Amino acid sequence: MTPSSDQSVGEPALLLSSFAHRQNQFWLAGSILAVSVLMPVLIAPHAGRSLTDWVVVLPAYAAAVLVIELVTSTFLFALFYVQRSRAILILAAGYLFSGALVAPWVVTFPGIFSSLGIEESIQSAAAFAALKRLGFPLFILAYAVLPDVQLARRLVASWIVVAVVSVLAVIAIACWLVLGDWSSLRLSNAFMRDALTPGLLWRLIPALAIALYLAGIVALAARRRTILDLWLVVVLGTLLIEIIQISYLGAGVRMSLGWWAGRLYGLVSASIVLVVMLAETIAVYARLARATIAERRARQNRLTAMEALSATIAHEVNQPLGSMVTNANAGLRWLANPQPELDEAKAAMHRIVEEGHRANKVVSGIRTMFMKGTRERTPLDLNLLIEQVVKQSAVAARLGHGAVTLDLDCQAPFVIGNAIQLQQVVANLIDNAIEAMRAVPARQRRLRIATTGREHGEVVVSIEDEGPGLDPATLDRIFEPFFTTKPDGMGMGLMFCRSAIEAHGGRLWTSTNEPKGAVFSFSLPTSPQPDPAPEENE
Amino acid sequence: MNIEASLVFVIDDNPAMRASVESLLRSVGHRVAAFHSTEDFLAAEHHNGPACLVLDVRLPGVSGLEFQRELKRIGRGCPIIFITGHGDVQMSVAAMKAGAIEFLTKPFRDQDLLDAVHKGLAMDIELRKRVKEMEALRLRFETLTPREREILPLVASGLMNKQIAATLQLSEITVKVHRAQVMQKLQAASLADLVRLSDKIAEAVAGAAG
Repeated sequence: MTPSSDQSVGEPALLLSSFAHRQNQFWLAGSILAVSVLMPVLIAPHAGRSLTDWVVVLPAYAAAVLVIELVTSTFLFALFYVQRSRAILILAAGYLFSGALVAPWVVTFPGIFSSLGIEESIQSAAAFAALKRLGFPLFILAYAVLPDVQLARRLVASWIVVAVVSVLAVIAIACWLVLGDWSSLRLSNAFMRDALTPGLLWRLIPALAIALYLAGIVALAARRRTILDLWLVVVLGTLLIEIIQISYLGAGVRMSLGWWAGRLYGLVSASIVLVVMLAETIAVYARLARATIAERRARQNRLTAMEALSATIAHEVNQPLGSMVTNANAGLRWLANPQPELDEAKAAMHRIVEEGHRANKVVSGIRTMFMKGTRERTPLDLNLLIEQVVKQSAVAARLGHGAVTLDLDCQAPFVIGNAIQLQQVVANLIDNAIEAMRAVPARQRRLRIATTGREHGEVVVSIEDEGPGLDPATLDRIFEPFFTTKPDGMGMGLMFCRSAIEAHGGRLWTSTNEPKGAVFSFSLPTSPQPDPAPEENE
Repeated sequence: MNIEASLVFVIDDNPAMRASVESLLRSVGHRVAAFHSTEDFLAAEHHNGPACLVLDVRLPGVSGLEFQRELKRIGRGCPIIFITGHGDVQMSVAAMKAGAIEFLTKPFRDQDLLDAVHKGLAMDIELRKRVKEMEALRLRFETLTPREREILPLVASGLMNKQIAATLQLSEITVKVHRAQVMQKLQAASLADLVRLSDKIAEAVAGAAG
């Protein structure tokens, strides 16, 4: 085997064999096993009853097991093809081995195909049964015990061919050994004394099989990681019950009630992995469909975000740009007058310079809002920061005749944070408050900004306006991206504020101002307290 | 166009934008009055001459479109030129339907704004002239007696004096006298002139009723 270097470490848990089993499946598997144990106990008294006439059912049974095990094997090979796990390859080979052996077993079974002129031997059927019984648990043991490796991608198909060919070769050799003319097995009574009664060697086989089944169960239980492991335990459990029923409860006699009950278990056991795989495939498919839809929606959201972002930039930049172009035109016209008005032209030039700076601020503001690189955190005096913002954003001028009150708690401790981001948050909230009071007559506009240092290690900043207040109907949506109550708003401001504050380990919330208006408050953890959250919450 | 008596109003809450538009308009000789908000505009002294308004769609308090309606309602309507940061088609269609003469998206070409302002002032002057004429005509109409007012539409519809006399059960002589009075009071030079004036009056009466 040539294990490739890339182990299945990063493999997403999307395939059956890599799913961890869930608690409810554990209980389901347990209860199926418990019920399985119950039946042999119930039929034990009648286990010896002979049902020889039922032999006609045997070919149907064999065909069912053959098909189910071969389909399971195909399924597992397909899984291996995708996942390249060596363990799955071993398991697929095991099912192929077990399923393929059903054919020679039933063909040589006494009293079934004699009408077709097929030479039958009571020894050969038993020999094939023994091979199947001992071989299959060996494959499962190998599956459970050998360390799982991922095989090289380009060799996957070759591995499948190798596995199929070797399994079939082993069976062919077995057939040749058992059925060959030179074989003395047919003449001996090693397996069977007569058509129904097992011989001396057959006494050994069940004991050996039971030992292997138990070993397999222990190995799987030790490994028990995935859904497949869990259900393989159930498979071995039912096989265990089957062999006990066939060999001991039915007194080892063929065609007894116990023997037939055991056959039923064989059928159930053969189906378990297939049923589980089909069920899980549906589940995986559903999960995948959901994931695809979610992914598509996320992409749509990203696209919308990009659209909104570009619209924001366009709008915010167009404002100063428009003013610059108009000022430049005005300046040119003043100069082009028969008597150039130099003072007017100069004033226009000055306005162009100012607007150029403003455009730059807009762009860098958008950058700080959306780009990374806001990780640097320093101890900050929130009061100072608020005073700076109030000064920079010309709050008093924008309020007109209204009043701005700073109610700052000088005892408030420092916080750890990113100055640019927090300035942007405060500026955004102030903008919103001023915006909210636009409809209010100028003299009644009142904006209050307050800080309080709380005892339990946080500083709370609140920004109170006396606008119309928040609409209760949309209150719980205001932090959603692209939600806005402004006719030409982008719905980005509050979303940014909340994510920035939460990235600092704080909270942002709203409340009602008395007698009217809205309050936006946020809290930030203070700096002396060693709070691990803010550094990693980025 | 009498640019001396006309006035261009600018309402924009962005100081830099306001100053730039004001400067641009002044540089070509317009008289400009700029305001920060619609409230300030309404509080300012009423200008009784040709005017037009350069209005930012996004205004403090009311939206530009609402304000446009309000101005019309209070009888201070004048041609409006909208400017906007980002004009969407819907908004501009609404504005144009409501009687805006131009909808400019920032950054706009200065000539576009100047042309629009020129057009707006011309429209307002024309409008005012028509209003003045109608007003004069209304005053003349009001000097008519009830009987003369009764006769006017009948004369205008082309009836002979005899027919009018029969309709109103008056003597033909009386109708003749009234008719001469109507012609004189409305300062109509001919029958054709009287028909035209009568139509205008009907229009004015209908306009006042509607």
